[in-house]
Formats: sequence, C-alpha cells, structure tokens
Amino acid sequence: MKAITALMLVLFIAACAQVPSRIEATRNDGPDKTYTVDLPVGWIKETSQDKTVLLASRNGYLLEIIRITRHPLKDAFPKTKKAAGDSMLPAELAELEIAEIKSQDQFTAALSVLENAPVEIAHEEGFHVRVSFKNARGLSIQRVVDGFTDKVSYYRIEFQAPVLYYFDTYYPDFQKAVASFHLSNTNKKTASLSSSVVILSPPER
Amino acid sequence: MPPFADSAALAQVTGDERRVWNQGDEVAQALARGGVIYEDPATTAYVQTVVDRLFPEFQGHMQVAILKSAQLNAFALPNGRIYINQGLLARLQNEAQLATLLGHEGTHFTNRHGYQNERSVKDSAAFGAIGGMIVPLLPQLVAVTSMYGFSREMETEADVNGFARLKRAGYDVHESPRVFEHLIAEIKAEGIKEPFFFATHPKLVDRVDNMKKLSAGAPPGGDGTSSIDYAAKMMQVRVDNLDMMLSMGRAKSALVMLSDPERRAELPPYVDYYLGEAYRLRGQEGDAKLAEDEYRKAIEVAPEFAPSYRALGMMRLKANHYVDAQTYLERYLELSPSAPDRSYVDSYLKIARRKAGGQP
Repeated sequence: MKAITALMLVLFIAACAQVPSRIEATRNDGPDKTYTVDLPVGWIKETSQDKTVLLASRNGYLLEIIRITRHPLKDAFPKTKKAAGDSMLPAELAELEIAEIKSQDQFTAALSVLENAPVEIAHEEGFHVRVSFKNARGLSIQRVVDGFTDKVSYYRIEFQAPVLYYFDTYYPDFQKAVASFHLSNTNKKTASLSSSVVILSPPER
Repeated sequence: MPPFADSAALAQVTGDERRVWNQGDEVAQALARGGVIYEDPATTAYVQTVVDRLFPEFQGHMQVAILKSAQLNAFALPNGRIYINQGLLARLQNEAQLATLLGHEGTHFTNRHGYQNERSVKDSAAFGAIGGMIVPLLPQLVAVTSMYGFSREMETEADVNGFARLKRAGYDVHESPRVFEHLIAEIKAEGIKEPFFFATHPKLVDRVDNMKKLSAGAPPGGDGTSSIDYAAKMMQVRVDNLDMMLSMGRAKSALVMLSDPERRAELPPYVDYYLGEAYRLRGQEGDAKLAEDEYRKAIEVAPEFAPSYRALGMMRLKANHYVDAQTYLERYLELSPSAPDRSYVDSYLKIARRKAGGQP
C-alpha cells in the first residue's frame, strides 16, 4: 500500500520538478506569469519545469492539493486526446473534463458527478464540476475542477482531498483561489457565452 | 502442480500458495472498497449460474463479479474470484460465448495458474510494461498478472480445459472460436491499444486457433446460442456500457457497437440517441448532421426520453436556431425537471429565448 501511495503521488505531481517553496504572500503569479491567484500563506507550492502546472498543499499532496494547469487548447485533455475549443460551451468543456477524469484509472472511471454547473472564472464563462470516487482503500475522495478557456489556453483549477476531514477544511482556500484567479495575459476572449454561440455559424434560415 | 479436483482440495491450500490467495483477497477487497463493482444482482446472479454450470464441483467457491469498466477484460484471481468487465459482457453475443470466457478464466483458478505465475512474472518485462497502466488501480502484483494474462502454455491449458468444461456443460462449442473472432473484429475496428488480455490481439489469435482445433469435428448443436435471450439479460449492461464509453469520450468504440443494425435492434428504442451522441463526440466533418438526424429519430421512437431533446436543443442553439433550441430545451426540462445539468440548460434556454425574441 505504501508503494501505491507513492506511485499515486508521483502520478499526480508528474512533471513537477522545481524545488517546493513556502508561500510567503497571498498573491502569487502563475509559473508563466499568465495569471495571478491567491493562495494560502504558509502552504507549500511547486511548479513544473515546463511552467504549465502550479501545485499547492498544506499537509501533503495526498491530503489536500490545489493544482492549476494551463494547456494549449489542442492539448487540453491528454488522456482522452481531445482538444478544447475557445467557442465551446461550458457544458461541453465540463463533459470533456469529466471524460478526462474518468480515463485516469479504474477507480475514477466509476466516479459520481456531484455538481456540474456553469460559473464565471476570471471574467470568462466556465464550468464547475465536483466528483466523488473511492480509492483502493475505500477512502472517499472528492475532486473539484473549475475550468475555462481563453483564446489560446485551457485553464483547469483543481482541488482534491479525502472527504474525511480534509475536503471541508481546505475547500474554502480553493474557493478563494478560484475567486481571485485573474488572467494577466492578453488572450482573453472578448466573446461572452451568448456571443460565443453566435460566432459558430450564421443563421441558416 | 496438479489442478484442484474439487472444493475439498481448496481446504488443503497452505503456505506460499495461501499467501498468494491472501493477496487475491486483498485485491478483491480493494475492488469492492473502491466502488468499481457493477452492482446488478440479477446480471451477476446470471453470470454466476454459468460459472456454476461449468464448474459444478466448485460451486460456492468460485464467485463472480462484474466490474464497471468498458475495457475488454476478464480475469480470475488465485483465490477463485472471477471478474468480468461490463464492457466485455456487453459485447458478447450469447451465453455460449460467455461460457467460453468463463471456462477459460475459471481454469486459471482450478489449475492454480495464479500461484504458479506469481513469482515468475515478478521480474519479467510484463510487469514493467503493465504496471504503470494499472497503478494506482490495485496494490498487488497478483492483480497485474491475473489481468494481463498468463504464459502461453497456461493460456493454452486454460483453452483446452475450458473447452472441455464447455462441452461437458452442454454448450454449443462452435461458439468458442466465434467469441474471439468477434472480439478481434471489434478491437481492429475500434483501434484498441489497451494492454488487457482480451484486448490483446496476438493473444486472441492464439485463442481462435486453439478453439478452432478443439471444436473441429464436434457435432453441431448445444445450448446457449440464443442472442435474443442473452440480449434481454444484458440490456441494462449494454446501455450502462454505452453510457460509460460515451462519458469517457470513447465515441469510436460506441460507434462500432451501434453501427451494427442487429445489435441496435437488441437495445432500447432510444438507442438512436446514443448513436447521435457518438457522432457528436467523434466530431468529424459531417458528424453534427448525423448526430442531429439520430436525435430526431430517437425523439420519434421514444418521445418521452428526455436526453434526446437536450442534445438536439444544444445543437440547434449552436447552429443559431434559437426558436428550435428553446422548444427542445423546454421539452427537456419538462420531461426531466430535476435534471442534474439543469443550471446549464437554464442558462442556455435564457440565451435562446432572448435571441428568439430578437434581442442581442
């Protein structure tokens, strides 16, 4: 069981090789400076070498983790090999995200969707998905993913923790992170949900 | 190492073999605790009756369970627990084919292959190759070896003994090569690259060769050939498997399953909706039109099935047909007022109404 715990950790923080550091201030830049986000002071953060992933945790990644990833639209969903599109409706993005989580392993494949709703993140229309699954020890785990696209990237802001104690304890920190998420690049979509619908094709009739 | 003769022999298992059995127990517990067992008592009981018919002397000791997985796999743990994925169950055509697979897997247990294999595989390349795929699936090496298959000799032994049991139980043995031929065709069509036993093409070719040799010259006839009976028993499994495949974005697999009119006929009337979903998710040129056509067919044959209206409403919204979108989305919420995606639909409906009214 120790081996699986270690391997799960490796999988979850894959590609993260930068030295972890203590979070000294609430406001934090994303690894590639494309966004800023508030994270809890005193937590440990780590970024991937390719600057696509930012991780933060207080007690260890298996206990609670905030993970923020930014991928080019075409690489948004690596497990299912699907691309995101900047004109996709939030419901469509959420559908792809759920498929991505389900494709992780046999346990997440059996997940239950607890919440799935449209939200606004960084003034962009996105989705909020909350899923529940168990691990091999029967421990209930919940993962929340808030995601959206700008013109070039798919942003995924995740929180995962065991339901037992950790999820409720640190979920408010994740909510603050999402609420504070701010794009600092120039790739913002100018289209709103309503206009993103109309840009697809002219009316047929 | 002699095979187990009957249930009484199982009580004699001690020492190292007992340790391997205990590992099997841990894997079984992990699967149960992990929520991956497909909870369908009627279907599970049905599959169990087939196991018991094939292995009557082990009745009560070979327990079968169905796993919530669309992958083509079945495996037996060293302790006699047999697992079959819903994806595999859904793709079989009749009971004789199911019995062929269960006879094969059950033989791995009766002939003690799990125990014999456990040590030899530990250092082999197979572990390295498959380990990463299964982790964090299960903690035990025994799970890896059971799921990925055994040595060629053991697999052949499982074919021979499984076939003998199939024959003894009165099943039509001519179905035995067909099951593997059918799976090969599906794997080719779907382009599956999963390293699981029944999705591994070279191993399936071995199975076909062995079963053809074994069944050659056998008289025609036997039980378990009715695809109608099997389809009736597997209706829910097939629908759930379609849901699973589509929710994992496996549109191509779903399309293979649904492009066969005979198989579609075995599914509920709203199956056209799933075909529409498969086209939509595949997303190739022209698929949007195909999807829309299928949703319309589904509405025609199953007008009370809500998801077709949602799907069509979303498509019409994206095509800027706001009046249509409003009609379909409203109908969806009428039929499914507590839909889990209601907040999305409400927001899209708001847009459709606004646009239909000529507002920007």
